[in-house]
Amino acid sequence: MAMSRMRRREALWFYLFVSPWVIGFLAFLLGPMISSIYLSMTDWDSFTPPEWVGLDNYVKLLTEDPVFWKALGNTFHYAAVSVPLGLLVGLWLANLLNKQVRGRKLFRTLVYLPTLVPLVAASLAFRVVLAPSGPFNDVLGWVGISGPQWLLDPSWVKYALILLSVWSAGSATVLLLAAMKGIPRELYEAAEIDGAGPVRQFWSITVPQLTPVIFFNLVMGLIAAFQVFSQVYILTPKASQPGTYNASQTTVPYLFDQAFSYYHMGYASAISWLLFAVILVFTLLAFRTTRRWVFYETEVK
Amino acid sequence: MATLVSTPAPRQQGEKRRDDEKRASEAPRVLRVFRATPFTYATLIVVSAILSTPLVFAVSIALSSDHTVTTNTFTIFPHEFQWENFTKVFGTDLPMGRFLVNSLVISVGSVIGQMVSSGLVGYAFARLRAPGKNVMFLIVIATMMIPTQITMIPQFILFKDLGWVNTYWPLIVPNFFSNAFNVFLVRQFVSRLPGELDEAAMVDGLGFFGIYRRIMLPMLWPVLIAIGIFTLTYTWGDFMGPLIYLNDESKMPLALGVQYITTTAVAGQPPPWNLVMVGSILLTLPMIAVYYLGQRYLYEMDISGGSAGVK
Repeated sequence: MAMSRMRRREALWFYLFVSPWVIGFLAFLLGPMISSIYLSMTDWDSFTPPEWVGLDNYVKLLTEDPVFWKALGNTFHYAAVSVPLGLLVGLWLANLLNKQVRGRKLFRTLVYLPTLVPLVAASLAFRVVLAPSGPFNDVLGWVGISGPQWLLDPSWVKYALILLSVWSAGSATVLLLAAMKGIPRELYEAAEIDGAGPVRQFWSITVPQLTPVIFFNLVMGLIAAFQVFSQVYILTPKASQPGTYNASQTTVPYLFDQAFSYYHMGYASAISWLLFAVILVFTLLAFRTTRRWVFYETEVK
Repeated sequence: MATLVSTPAPRQQGEKRRDDEKRASEAPRVLRVFRATPFTYATLIVVSAILSTPLVFAVSIALSSDHTVTTNTFTIFPHEFQWENFTKVFGTDLPMGRFLVNSLVISVGSVIGQMVSSGLVGYAFARLRAPGKNVMFLIVIATMMIPTQITMIPQFILFKDLGWVNTYWPLIVPNFFSNAFNVFLVRQFVSRLPGELDEAAMVDGLGFFGIYRRIMLPMLWPVLIAIGIFTLTYTWGDFMGPLIYLNDESKMPLALGVQYITTTAVAGQPPPWNLVMVGSILLTLPMIAVYYLGQRYLYEMDISGGSAGVK
């Protein structure tokens, strides 16, 4: 089908206009992806020519590398606790802020403020807040709990990371609060006439109405949690400190170490593809199960 | 309970007020779920206090003397007010000023790159017709699923071969090639704009670039500013990118620089926590300012709040 001159000119301009994306896609995404697949099947220190090893890196990662499994397990643990906990806290705070509270703006600001703090600054602040004699343990001391060495004790480091993540539950709070404002008032009026109390109304109206937003935040939160890096890098002990290393290792910092500390470029590339697989599986799983518990308004109509 | 049945027809202001008054006399004005109890206030106060503690403590440390740092005798609320810490970091022994300038260069470059490229690409996807467009847009959407870790190593090799390690370029240049999420935002925004204006401009003989520059660009500002805010927030706080590419102290942006200071302490000495916290505050304040100045645009774009599901 021949195109008119006008249409051809339009198409030409289209390709010209999208060329930045096309070039970027080829140079910074597709090209690197292909090269990453190849690299993941090589042994390469980035100085001498890569040596083809086939699937050895993957086999080694999955069968012979306890640190990788430890890191993956830690990442799962972190994601599985921090994301739902953050959403629960966010839901709880949003529900409180949705009431007719005096000074709501001030409370909302104080809850949201932590999410504006860049991760590096927040991590550095938490290094002093969670220090053995820091304010967090001081507060625990007031109620008679002697706090652990959050950042040095291998079994507590993960919870330090989770605490930092829950500290910025404000972003979920604000999103959920905005969604709560959109719930039709009639639903609550009807429920009140039927004699349902506030708690019952929360679980039977508020939560079901919010499930699409909760679901969206859950998926995005999990994807982000699987890629946790800066806070781990800044808050947890380094590889040079023996004994504490594996306890707090997570996937992306492990990948980073393999690539940029040990120059195991092929091995690190293989880790990145396994990470991608994990993220993909979880995203698909989340979408597969949505129908069972996510309430979309269109279903009623 | 007739008042509970909503009337679909538009009502007069006065009529509505009378309705509300009637409702007020019949039922409590505030539904029980929305009523704040003393328990609500108590919880909010306690939670706000807990969430604010790290911030208050960071300020307290930033205002502490060096003696307090070495003896590790910090207090949650500031008891010393060493404001000179805020000028000391710009002195000769600490390159905080350098860090700030580096952050600014990288962030401004990235913001300009994203605004220019994503605007053009997003407009083309929304308005221009060409074979293969739909497939290309599907690819744009699909790329959002690829985690950055996949491309991190080959990209590093690429930039290393270009001799760009220890320069700003690896952190700035990719932004001039747009990004899937921003392209998506612009496309959605342009799709909602009325098409008459650019059609009329076309009839008047204005070329496609002319339409973009004269007609579209003035209308695109809200979405471009939103993209600018997102890019600025990301670049300003980015830690992993600078960590990979920059190892020369004089090239580091603030986000990497403040962390770097903590690693350079003399053995056996604690890091200069007061100055590190000053750096963290300097890193945080622009983000708070940007948020408050940009809030209006984000709400206009309707992306910061309710329609999060569209992301």
